Amino acid sequence: MRGGTAHNRVLMALAAVGFAMCGWLPVNAGPANDTMVVAIEGEIPTLDHLYTTARDTITLAELTDDGLFYVDPETLAYVPAAAESYVQVDDTTIDVTIRTGVRFHDGSPLTADDVVYTFSWVLDPDTKTNRGRVIGAWLDRVERTGPMQVRFHLKHPYPLAIRDMAFSVQLRKKGAYHPHGKADPNAQAQMLNGIGPYKVVDFQPGKRVTLERFDGYYADSPKGRPAIRHIVFRTIPDLSTQQAELISGNVDWMYNVPADIASNLGATGYATHLTGPTLRVNFIPLDAAGYTGADNPLTKLDVRRAMIHAINRRDIVKYLIQGDAEVIDSACHPLQFGCEQNVRKYPYDPAEARRLLVGAGYPNGFEVELWAYRERQAAEAVAADLAKVGIRVRLRFVTLTTLNQARKNHRVPAFFASWESGSTADTATIAEVHWSLKSDRNLSKDAVVARQMEAAARTIDAEERKRLYSAALKRIADQAYWIPLYTYSQNYLVSNTLAFPVTKDGLPRLFRAHWRANAVKASN
Amino acid sequence: MLRYAGKRAILAVLVALTVSFAAFLLLSVATDPAAAIAGEGAEPEVIEQIREQLGLNQPLLAQYGHWLSAISHGDLGTSYYWRQPVSTLILDHLPVTLTLALAATFVALIVAIPLGTIAALYPNSTIDRFALTLAVSAQATPTFWLALMLIILLGVIVPIFPISGDATGWNYVLPAIVLGAHSVPAIMRLTRVGVLDVMGSDYIRTARAKGLYGYRLLSRQVMRNALLPVVSVLAVQLGHKLGGSVITESVFAMNGLGRFALQSIVGGDIPTVQMLVVLFALTFIGLTLLADLLNAWLDPRLRLT
Repeated sequence: MRGGTAHNRVLMALAAVGFAMCGWLPVNAGPANDTMVVAIEGEIPTLDHLYTTARDTITLAELTDDGLFYVDPETLAYVPAAAESYVQVDDTTIDVTIRTGVRFHDGSPLTADDVVYTFSWVLDPDTKTNRGRVIGAWLDRVERTGPMQVRFHLKHPYPLAIRDMAFSVQLRKKGAYHPHGKADPNAQAQMLNGIGPYKVVDFQPGKRVTLERFDGYYADSPKGRPAIRHIVFRTIPDLSTQQAELISGNVDWMYNVPADIASNLGATGYATHLTGPTLRVNFIPLDAAGYTGADNPLTKLDVRRAMIHAINRRDIVKYLIQGDAEVIDSACHPLQFGCEQNVRKYPYDPAEARRLLVGAGYPNGFEVELWAYRERQAAEAVAADLAKVGIRVRLRFVTLTTLNQARKNHRVPAFFASWESGSTADTATIAEVHWSLKSDRNLSKDAVVARQMEAAARTIDAEERKRLYSAALKRIADQAYWIPLYTYSQNYLVSNTLAFPVTKDGLPRLFRAHWRANAVKASN
Repeated sequence: MLRYAGKRAILAVLVALTVSFAAFLLLSVATDPAAAIAGEGAEPEVIEQIREQLGLNQPLLAQYGHWLSAISHGDLGTSYYWRQPVSTLILDHLPVTLTLALAATFVALIVAIPLGTIAALYPNSTIDRFALTLAVSAQATPTFWLALMLIILLGVIVPIFPISGDATGWNYVLPAIVLGAHSVPAIMRLTRVGVLDVMGSDYIRTARAKGLYGYRLLSRQVMRNALLPVVSVLAVQLGHKLGGSVITESVFAMNGLGRFALQSIVGGDIPTVQMLVVLFALTFIGLTLLADLLNAWLDPRLRLT
């Protein structure tokens, strides 16, 4: 290799000719221009995070916006950001002091008026923010108590109030949605005035967003001062094209890369493959309540337990998911607060699965539909494992919308589910939506579990919450309402000149990226 | 001629509306715009809120009626997904598709017509076989494969052209080759057949007898008649390209109407999809009409029929 094969020499000669012919080709990425180019598969329709929940926009909002609080990616603890401090006055009152010296990208200082304006805008149903209903479920009103002090009045005790202030509500300048005195929900969609470490200098919807480091960013921010001057988000829908751009030096960072592709490209030396955990978990809820037939096999406890025993989750993780993924036993992510790990476990044991099926009256197995909308290979592996103990799975691979509609109409006996918890390390973010009696995701309709999950989300007593989640999660595992599968792994491909610290929650904090020392030296 | 064109225009609008209604029904049944806009992990409350905001909880016919009423007043609506007027979005994406379609058609023409003509002038020769092989290969090659091969060859190994984007004219070279290659076989074969047919006709023999040979014979007598069927096919091909090439635009990350249409369909963006369907239908019908008129202009005999 060092001497170069004839083939390589030809390629290198061709490349040299190409470069000589085309010195005009723009290579904007890299340390030479102090510009990190980020390739994303989806498009960014709006800059305003209050009006979208799309994943790429959340990644972008981490750069352009700050909330009152911030999630430390190392500890996953909530720390003050635009807030200086807070005091939990009582179960339903929180006093927040705003940090002095925080500035919007237009140079104006952040004050209590801006915080009250932002939260009042979100709470107003006419403003149609995407998070309005979620915030309005727990927040009654926000009151200005001083030039830099605000008081939050909650409707009921809510343990995720600080989390929502960190993730869901990005601060806006007073009047931001009233550019000409009239309310305009789209006022921040195209040109954002945030307080984050980067400001938007160019936005072409669906194509690219160009950011520049905000020099007026407050020095004591928990995010720190970013090292890279410019970040460009480019929409490149095709993964192969993203890879080609990365190899060519026109892209520095890409994520959501399938494990095999990431490791293959990483092994070539053209790019660096990074892998890190996320808070996503995959699982299969089972129709224990009998929605698809009162006497369907899944209503029998032994059948559900047999199904978990039948699946070789460890091998699925090892060979298909790879990276930092791990098998889970509880109905949550092990990193989440309250995620009880001391629950009933079901090791891979096909013989035990067969024994349980015989005991349940299914010596010859049975046929069941498994609905899925993502990760076809893993779903097929699950189906193959179940087939080995006689459970004949008819895999219905559909779009998410179709699955949602079928589930709503109670036509789904089991579905391959995935939940990311909004990158929140708290069991509450996976519990309510899956175990509420009102949720069509809840195929067990267990009133005890529902009550415990709801109670845990209505108290700020951490010990009580742990106790309630523990009881509920033990019952879920004992009753085998879900087949818990595995946590997920996030695969990144980055240029060899870039250092990017991966995070525990899988939410990329691109402001922490920096050029490798030798790359900076070379570019100089 | 004017009456004929008027009739065709009314027909075009009716066809466009019928297609738009079918698209609206299919999209309403097959997708949930609120869930698509909210994203994969959105809470049910968020989805419900979006559904209410967009009026998606109204009966389907009422929703379609509102849309029809709005466009009759010149209001093309606002995109659910992009939160911008649909007219602005279409105008933003149109130049990319228009440029790409014209460039691809140009590529197809400069390859197919000379090749088809030479193949016809030397039938059953090596060059004819080569042209036939090329045509079959171009037809059989999947667009995405050709696109990726060109990216690897001319974007990565020998970096002559940009790999993705639509910022400069150079960005259009590889996509135009990919998109144009698909049209080469049809145009080339028609050219070959047309030239062969004309070359055997009496008036060409007469022209030869009068001493007209070579390029002058080809340009003045042969091509004008041989290319008549090509004009019709070209209109159809251009219509396809103006309808947007989803694959080519996606692979090369071009922000044209094809990818925009795909994003809108996936996002359940009904107002945008509706307008795109109408636009595509009108474009297709318009181009077919244009082809008829051009044929009539090229061949005076057709004006009498």
